[in-house]
Amino acid sequence: MCKTVTRLETDQEIIYMCPFSGAVKGKVLITNYRLYFKSSDAEGPVVLDVPLGVISRVEKMGGASSRGENSYGLDITCKDMRNLRFALKQEGHSRRGIFDMLFRYAFPLSHGLALFAYLNQEKFTENGWNVYKAMEEFRRQGLPNNKWRMTFINKRYELCDTYPNLLAVPFKCTEDDLRKVAAFRSRGRIPVLSWIHRENQAVIVRCSQPLVGMSGKRNKDDERYLDLIREANDTTKKLTIYDARPNVNAVANKATGGGYEGDEYVNAELVFLDIQNIHVMRESLKKLKDIVYPNVEESHWLSSLESTHWLEHIKLVLSGAIQVADKVSSGNSVLVHCSDGWDRTAQLTSLAMLMLDSHYRTLRGFQVLIEKEWISFGHKFASRIGHGDKNHADQDRSPIFVQFIDCVWQMTKQFPTAFEFNEHLLLSILDHLYSCRFGTFLYNCENARDQHDLRTKTTSLWSLVNSKMDLYLNPFYTPESGQVLYPVASMRHLELWVNYYIRWNPRIRHQQQSPVEQRYKELLALREEYLKKLEQLQLSDSSSSYQLTNSTTPNTTSSTASTPSQQYTHLQTPL
Amino acid sequence: MFSAKPIKPTFKCYLPPAQTDRKNSIQPPIRLEPEFLPGEIVVNDVNFVRKCISAESGQGDLWGRLICTNFKVSFIPQGPPPKQKSQLSHLLLGQHDISLTCLEQVVTVNDTRGKRKVLGSNQKLKFNPTELILYCKDLRVIRFCFDEAGPESAKKVCLAIAHYSHPADLHLLFGFEYQGLRYHKGDLVNGSTPRGGIQTPVFDRPSDWDREIKRTGASGWRVCSINEKYAISDSLPEYIVVPVSLTDQDVKQHSPSFSDGRVPLWCWNHRNGSALVRMAGPADPLTQRKTEQKIFTAITKSHPQRREVTLSDLDKSLPNIQDIQSAFVKARQICTLDPFEESEERWLSSIENSRWLEYVRTFLKLSAEIVYNLDGKNVSVILLEEEDRDLNCVVSSLVQLMLDPHYRSLNGFQSLVQKEWVMAGHRFLDRCNHLKKNDSKESPLFTLFLDCVWQMTNQYPAAFEFTEFYLTVLSDSMWIPLFSTFLFNSSKQCAQLLQDFSKNKAIPQGEDHTVIFPPVWKWSQQFSTRDQTLFNNPMYVGKGAASVQNGEVKSFQRSKKAFSSTVRISSTSQRNGLKGEEEPLQRRGSLVSELKADFSPVKDESPSERFFRDWFSHPADQQGVLIPLVLPSHVVLWKLFFLRWVPEVCIPQGGPATVYHKVSQLVDEIEMLQGKLRQYKGASPRGTPVPSPSGPSSDQRRMYFKASSPHDPPTTPNILNSSFPFNPVGNLCPRGVQGTPISKFLNGAKTWLSTETLANDSF
Repeated sequence: MCKTVTRLETDQEIIYMCPFSGAVKGKVLITNYRLYFKSSDAEGPVVLDVPLGVISRVEKMGGASSRGENSYGLDITCKDMRNLRFALKQEGHSRRGIFDMLFRYAFPLSHGLALFAYLNQEKFTENGWNVYKAMEEFRRQGLPNNKWRMTFINKRYELCDTYPNLLAVPFKCTEDDLRKVAAFRSRGRIPVLSWIHRENQAVIVRCSQPLVGMSGKRNKDDERYLDLIREANDTTKKLTIYDARPNVNAVANKATGGGYEGDEYVNAELVFLDIQNIHVMRESLKKLKDIVYPNVEESHWLSSLESTHWLEHIKLVLSGAIQVADKVSSGNSVLVHCSDGWDRTAQLTSLAMLMLDSHYRTLRGFQVLIEKEWISFGHKFASRIGHGDKNHADQDRSPIFVQFIDCVWQMTKQFPTAFEFNEHLLLSILDHLYSCRFGTFLYNCENARDQHDLRTKTTSLWSLVNSKMDLYLNPFYTPESGQVLYPVASMRHLELWVNYYIRWNPRIRHQQQSPVEQRYKELLALREEYLKKLEQLQLSDSSSSYQLTNSTTPNTTSSTASTPSQQYTHLQTPL
Repeated sequence: MFSAKPIKPTFKCYLPPAQTDRKNSIQPPIRLEPEFLPGEIVVNDVNFVRKCISAESGQGDLWGRLICTNFKVSFIPQGPPPKQKSQLSHLLLGQHDISLTCLEQVVTVNDTRGKRKVLGSNQKLKFNPTELILYCKDLRVIRFCFDEAGPESAKKVCLAIAHYSHPADLHLLFGFEYQGLRYHKGDLVNGSTPRGGIQTPVFDRPSDWDREIKRTGASGWRVCSINEKYAISDSLPEYIVVPVSLTDQDVKQHSPSFSDGRVPLWCWNHRNGSALVRMAGPADPLTQRKTEQKIFTAITKSHPQRREVTLSDLDKSLPNIQDIQSAFVKARQICTLDPFEESEERWLSSIENSRWLEYVRTFLKLSAEIVYNLDGKNVSVILLEEEDRDLNCVVSSLVQLMLDPHYRSLNGFQSLVQKEWVMAGHRFLDRCNHLKKNDSKESPLFTLFLDCVWQMTNQYPAAFEFTEFYLTVLSDSMWIPLFSTFLFNSSKQCAQLLQDFSKNKAIPQGEDHTVIFPPVWKWSQQFSTRDQTLFNNPMYVGKGAASVQNGEVKSFQRSKKAFSSTVRISSTSQRNGLKGEEEPLQRRGSLVSELKADFSPVKDESPSERFFRDWFSHPADQQGVLIPLVLPSHVVLWKLFFLRWVPEVCIPQGGPATVYHKVSQLVDEIEMLQGKLRQYKGASPRGTPVPSPSGPSSDQRRMYFKASSPHDPPTTPNILNSSFPFNPVGNLCPRGVQGTPISKFLNGAKTWLSTETLANDSF
């Protein structure tokens, strides 16, 4: 990696308190990007390579007066399902230097410093910032058309500061209508088109909750606007509104001025999807961490797992998305929202789109999906992850995006041949969600990214991925267009993603590639080898090549009705 | 019984038939004849039966004729065959057939009168059944409705099914009828013997054992024929392997000290010289200590380094057979009977409460510990179990599967089952409860073993020659009473019964005066050659199979040491300055213990934990020692086995079969290329290692899915789903959740309709 790296602290003797193999003596190196530890034990060295971005909290353990030399040290809590503990010698405030450096460079924003992504000088052959261009994606979907138009009303983020600047809205609505609707939708996040079904023209529209409030306010413009959305599709008799929240939460939101669409929306039906809020999800993942790190809960594993409710939440998100996808594929337009329309809404729309549109199941299409539904539509990555921020107890933090990637993983498990990308991509995305090495997941919205010149001053994660695509490709991928992929959202199929949540356990073998993928790649190479050999033999023996194709037919072609020459071409065609 | 005269379909045909004299009045519009096996006869039948497909709506239900024969329950649907068919077609059983041996429970219901009864043999039924629910041992639940059928005929069929599924005696099982007739017809005595064509050694002759001794390099062991004609033990095989230092006389003398005369039995040898031995508990506690000492000394003598033996008492560390049975019953209940939606919320804890996965883990864990002893510590291990016929079968075969790649080939695996289960005297007859006589002896040990094997294949998908389809089909084969493998409690019982049988049936005897009941391993009895290709794992990295690493084709050639990790481990230990493995590891000096007080999660690692951690830190060699991960997070429910019949669970066009399809196609193409290369005139690809010894000819292609032609788009066939190659449609139809009082009762039942809960309820 070519980076502007500041070497901050080197060669300090330290003891890594490995929860598995015990205390490990070694040396630690801290840069402005990472913490690197290597044990001095020559045989089977223990190595830690931790980007500072994953650190959520650094604490001092014990004090100068603590008894025993090993009670004095540092305790580091990470965002990626692990904790690290180091012990140091007590004399001479030995930990102060390390602590200060970690504290400063793990939380640069709290110290007036730039995030590492702004210092990173890495160069890649591909520029990942070119992966997503909103207009291109709309064109791919066949937009604009006679029912839907593009609007630049949000060009300077004036209508809605957390939305992208290019929006697709019903053809019949005016810019003035949009402004009126924005006044009635939380944070001005008006209903806009996310995806349109090519054949039946049903759409997925996303937004935030209506500002109904305690008094049950109505807004004729909003009501008419939703009807325009409905009308834009001929087969939609009623617009289905999926409110991601549990019913009670939606009601409770009225107290703070929010709420949900009532009976006044005559041509609409409202469905609550019962997905819990960011706080519930945060606590759920915290519980999960408790049972997998450092040791996997042995005695009551499944009931412990059940009591974290993590998989249950996954199930609700997935089954919500299935309902959305099913409605749309049967020719009904839908509108999806939660409270602000940037957490649960993003999960539902993007997962439904993944089920409906095989393009998003390709490596590049998936990048587009994340760029579009998550990044451009203002999922608050900065607040949810807390990049470079020391405030580890911030109530805004929540693993909503992790949960989405988990749902995607569940789908890849159920349909192992339907996705062009592999598990390694999902793991890499989650690693760099925290690492701050790339600009991709920084800031809360496009407006903030523009202000901080993100695209010009940082590198995109997709630059890394698309420069080494081979690493992220699923060899079993079988392109299948037009097929809606409905996973089975049942506890019978949902599994804990052990390769992510339990990956720090040294008792589990960690392979970059799944053994199945690896074996398949070996077989692919073997086929190439044989094809090459056959070609060589044919070249060196061209006079008998005609003979060959004839003589082999009785043995090889009975199951395929092809002629010898077809058979021959087949063998030279890689799948 | 069946008049052949067809009558024209009329409006009347669709009405309930008249109650009297059905034979002469109304016939079904189409003759619905099942296919019969030699010796199979129809016992009773009834027309206008509805087979329930969907629990709620009744949509897609099938109408047809329900027949009870002396072999199976058969349902012949009217009209065209359904679109959705099972991929696997069985040669002995049709899509809607259930072998009588496969019936777990026969339940009759009268909805209107609110009655139900579990039927046994020779019972009376005081109500006319409106429904028949068949709970099958392969986890199917099949429901028939008699709303349009003649009530008397329906009742008769139900009683017949119940009666014939409870045979009074072993020789009444259909297999004897069937095999006997085959002898009479001469298709077994002439030419192909039942043994012909099977490559799996069955270990009924000294040469099979000799080969095994040579293969494993067990120089300290010999074949002993002291048990010929079952002279010293009724449950041991006629030929056993004992330490060379014990004479036949010694063996005979020691035998009475052990339960049923079962002297310790050699199972397998590690290349490092340590042996795996299984042993029964004492019959005579007085002489036991002395005898044991002598035997242990003999085993120590057979070890090249004269290592002391380690004794592993399985009864103390493993669940007993009743525990295992009740865990299985609960797991089965949760997977197939509990209402789908209602059980979702508590699914994980229900599975945990069944304890099935916990037991799977316990067996794998203990087996891995024994692997550590044999491989890491280089000591011989004796597995001790009271009778040496249940737990020992599971553990000894799992240990061998982990240590010896030979047993991960198809033939090797079959020989392992033959050696450690059939010949070692596992009571298949009692454990399967084929005669439904003694429920307390029933226990699914073999199923537990198959589940453990599946966990291994799940963790090491390229290490086994066979697929999970094979394992599932093998478990289903337990419930077809035609194969000697799963019918007897011991090889002696098998031999005796066959002798009596051949006398009774006056079967022309061959030279050795015995009739041979073919084992399950002769798969052509059940499946076509093409269907058998479903057994082949396309990912298998077998002996001599080619692999490519860094673009270079290499062949896996097992050197003598390749299947042992000993070399690596022992060198590691030496470098650590370890003297004896018994000593606790003092790797980091005294620091470890000091730190422990202050940082709680740190704990000392036992030598075996260290061994496993070290093993897992290296890439696994598919042809070497394989140790399963036994963390609860990594031992998961075997979905194909437990959930294949549940329609709600089925993922259309998804599931592991989609990968299987893809890899099979590629391997098929590779094998065709190999064939081409081999046929190339004057160009023998000697230097190129190939997966199969002979080139595949068209009918010998090993893969179920053939390479696609370039003209076909590379699509996933519609037939693939997560139940492949089985079909959930119509095979699981428990009662709907709401509705009749009966269904409420079934819903509330906590177990798989155990006889205790229902028996009191007959009216």
